[in-house]
Amino acid sequence: MSEYREQKIAVRHKSISYAKWGYLFIAPFFIVYIICTLIPQFLTIYNSFFENYMDGLRHVGPNFVGFNNYVRLFTPDSNGVIGILKYSANTLIIWIMGAIPQFVIAMLLALFFTSGRLNIRGQSFFKAVIYMPNLIMASAFSMLFFTLFSNVGPVNQMLQQMGITDKTIDFFGITIYVRSLIALMNFLMWFGNTTILFMSGIMGIDQELFESAKIDGASSSKVFFKITLPLLMPIVVYVVITAMIGGLQMFDVPQVLTNRMGAPDRTTMTIVMFLNSYLTPSKNYGMSGAISVYLFVLTSLLSIFVYRGMIRQYRSRIR
Amino acid sequence: MKKALSIMLALIMVIGLFAACGKTTDTTTPASPGTTSQAPTTSSEAPAPQPAAEEGKVFNIYAWNEEFKGFFEKYYKVPEGITVNWIINPSDGGVYQDKLDAALLAQESAAPDEKVDMFLAEADYILKYVNSDFTLDVSTIGVKEAPTMYKYTVQAASDANGAMKGVSFQCCPAALIYRRSIAKDVIGTDDPVKVQEALSDWSKFDAVAAQAKAKGYYMTASYVETYRTFSNNCSMPWVDSNNKLQFDPMILAWIKQAKEYLEKGYTLPAGIWDDEKNQQMFKTGKTMCFFGPAWYYNFCMGNAMDPEKGCYGDWAICQGPQAYFWGGTWLLAPKGTDNPTMLKDVMDAFTINEEICSNLVKNEMQFSNNSAVNEKFANDPNYGNAFLGGQNDTAVFVELAKNIRFEHKTPYDQLLNENITGVFLDYFKGNITEEQAYQNFYKFVNEKYPAIITP
Amino acid sequence: MKSYTDAENRKARLMLYISRTVVYVILIFLTILCLFSFYMLFINATRSNAQLQAGFRLLPQDNFFNNFRNAWNDVSINIPVGLKNSFIIAALTSILTAYFSALTAYGIHVYDFRGRRFAFVFILAVMMIPPQVGAVGFVQICYQLKLTNNFLPLILPSISAPVVFFYMKQYMESVLTLDIVEAARCDGSGEFYTFNKIVLPIMRPAIAVQMIFSFVASWNNYFIPALLLDKAEKKTVPIMIAQLRSADYSKFDMGKVYMFILLAILPVIIVYVFLSKLIVKGVSAGALKG
Repeated sequence: MSEYREQKIAVRHKSISYAKWGYLFIAPFFIVYIICTLIPQFLTIYNSFFENYMDGLRHVGPNFVGFNNYVRLFTPDSNGVIGILKYSANTLIIWIMGAIPQFVIAMLLALFFTSGRLNIRGQSFFKAVIYMPNLIMASAFSMLFFTLFSNVGPVNQMLQQMGITDKTIDFFGITIYVRSLIALMNFLMWFGNTTILFMSGIMGIDQELFESAKIDGASSSKVFFKITLPLLMPIVVYVVITAMIGGLQMFDVPQVLTNRMGAPDRTTMTIVMFLNSYLTPSKNYGMSGAISVYLFVLTSLLSIFVYRGMIRQYRSRIR
Repeated sequence: MKKALSIMLALIMVIGLFAACGKTTDTTTPASPGTTSQAPTTSSEAPAPQPAAEEGKVFNIYAWNEEFKGFFEKYYKVPEGITVNWIINPSDGGVYQDKLDAALLAQESAAPDEKVDMFLAEADYILKYVNSDFTLDVSTIGVKEAPTMYKYTVQAASDANGAMKGVSFQCCPAALIYRRSIAKDVIGTDDPVKVQEALSDWSKFDAVAAQAKAKGYYMTASYVETYRTFSNNCSMPWVDSNNKLQFDPMILAWIKQAKEYLEKGYTLPAGIWDDEKNQQMFKTGKTMCFFGPAWYYNFCMGNAMDPEKGCYGDWAICQGPQAYFWGGTWLLAPKGTDNPTMLKDVMDAFTINEEICSNLVKNEMQFSNNSAVNEKFANDPNYGNAFLGGQNDTAVFVELAKNIRFEHKTPYDQLLNENITGVFLDYFKGNITEEQAYQNFYKFVNEKYPAIITP
Repeated sequence: MKSYTDAENRKARLMLYISRTVVYVILIFLTILCLFSFYMLFINATRSNAQLQAGFRLLPQDNFFNNFRNAWNDVSINIPVGLKNSFIIAALTSILTAYFSALTAYGIHVYDFRGRRFAFVFILAVMMIPPQVGAVGFVQICYQLKLTNNFLPLILPSISAPVVFFYMKQYMESVLTLDIVEAARCDGSGEFYTFNKIVLPIMRPAIAVQMIFSFVASWNNYFIPALLLDKAEKKTVPIMIAQLRSADYSKFDMGKVYMFILLAILPVIIVYVFLSKLIVKGVSAGALKG
């Protein structure tokens, strides 16, 4: 390592090149990344081509099986259901159900908070409050929701007292309800976070642009679509893509809420729940490796798709 | 740049090599896939004489909760100079077994004070450890099967060759626990003998359930309530000799019963530990029957014991339609312990030491694994349980304990038993067909136990 | 400037009044939604196990101190130790994550070197790999290195946080011009000095935001710590809570569990309130400079 540094210093003396600083600045990140993440992840991909699991205390494998794990992943059951596709659809549907209100409301709030015209009072209170659901452990939050919406929970009691329904609503037995609850919790946990991100983006925009737009008499929606949104696009792209990546890895909430089952009929089973199911107790590195590779490919494709789409929009707006 | 790259590559390779080395040591017992469920059994291992003088100073016990720790600290006198170290990990999410397995796999190379000296296991997965090479034949350290131990507790802790790997400190015959007042209303009596007569088989049980329903009661508060009475009376294991999944007629009978009971409103769609069920234990509850062993009403019926809202004393037990057992905690000996003398002492203390066993029954309301002690209480006319309206429950359990069979178990039982009920709930509720429920169960099995072959 | 007539002015004021009302209604509704779970947690922490079993209530009951005593004095679950451990890990994690992500982002944003584009795309790509399975391999390696019951494997990986890096990079793109760096160089500022003394202050809002996020994430992290820590004196708060939840039935005291959760999130809330002031300040400071 030191040899490498000396050589680079020598280069610097010849011409003023800052390249070595670039390497130096990114070195810690990459070194740690390789040790703590990349090697384990290589193991994952490697494992996906092997049969490798624990049968009790007996280690089975690793035996090379080629693409067998992937073939198994995409083999339909006798009802013609391909599990992994079903769980991917579940994950995406639940994510979108929560993400759309999350983005819309976060953007609205960010605009409210940064608007000099509205001049919202108690801002720091509201900002502190909307982020708070994110502070609770997802598992504790889910436990709470479970008790709230259980068959004997307060929501059911209230609905019956108010005469809205005379029968117990089985919130955890009907797909649309369970999915909505998960989406609602995801929304509550993340809209504050998104708001803060949008806000810091909006505040980074040159205020003079808004001033001059105001002087020109532009309507607020015009200001938003012609100035704010285009200039905010890097942050929006960041928010949407990271939210989607996070959403595809959705795990804690449905796991606790449905007690690992993805009930009813596995319609709330997400990809990572499925993956996790293979890890305990059998430590099935083969199958879980294959699922992670699949998830990686799916995430990449969707991210590229979303990124491209949004950047195109962004460009057309700039024009 | 090239140099930097080569350094990185070298680093990756070094670490990769290292990781690879790690992997090979991980492979403890190489075996081909699809072999039988019976884990490799060790053929008669020569008992290694232990050097008595050099024993460890730290006694490590692996457990998943504090139950046994409480008894241990109360009643067991730790030999001087030894520190007891409890390593407690929640069984939630498989953490306990994960940690324990990792420790057992590393037992050989572990420092003396880090070695596992004893660990606890439940009935549902005890076979995983008993049939493995990681547990010690306790006869080599002087622990013998005592005549006062219940047969099934010994059988459960013995491997295929009959080598005993540990002992249990409790015996878990289970009973039908009923509300006296509701039984009076429905059957016309709360006398345990007469109630037993009215509920002595499943067809009678069904008939009473219909009567209970007619009077506005539930027969049970959870559709899972009766599951153990079926599953612990199976006549074949969950997997056959080729590791193929199979459904015992008992399991099929339960599926039929649960579907019928839920459809007819005899029971509630609540899980066995759910609030919805637990609320039925209050005075205001409308449920007649609960099922469980001694530990169940002592530990899980807190609502019934609540001074304000409970119904303390309004309960009694009888055998019910079918004798069965449920749960139980075994103390197992790991191979490589450096405290064999103390290990033997602990095992003896909680099985053959009459004073400790009496305390377990008297103070902790346990049903001990010492038949002599249990019978002493069973025959004591002054002994009675106020929660059960003064009924001598130990006397009932002494009878029930004779019928316990620990048979047809597999190392996979825990998750299969705990989850078939949840998977089939969708079918019971009418969300999916029976066939779909089976498919979902197969999926679950494939995920959890790759070695099991599903249809 | 346009001149407004009186009527226009009045109309504009009315519109402002209406929109303000709507905004406040929305904010209050969201506040209730957000605080409700905290409120329930607090209420539940004031109730005994039997009271909790009896059903749901909106008003507190009288077992708060009882539960507090039970939770605080629990023999096997030493909450002060747990809080201390969690705090050490979370604080170091959040500092390392924010600093090194900014450093990496700066390295890629400002310097031109071969492999720069590759490095950027690489980090973006790996961001998409689900952490769960890499984690399993990571735990395997930690076992090999005998790094169990050690905080190092929980803290060190935070140096490389692709998602935080991505955020820092995006943020730099919108606030940090190369002119600033060039100007600093002309003043004779060294590269590290420029980063630490000039760039970091500009990045303050972003750093504060990411520090909170990573502090909370680390504080609530259960998956990997649960696999690596098992000694009583090393356990973090979430591990203790899981242990409490799956405790044996004799000790299944939900009142204590809720109290524990309350105690577990309190430090995070305090840290958050403290840092959220910093964010507001930092955001306005950043805005002025931009």
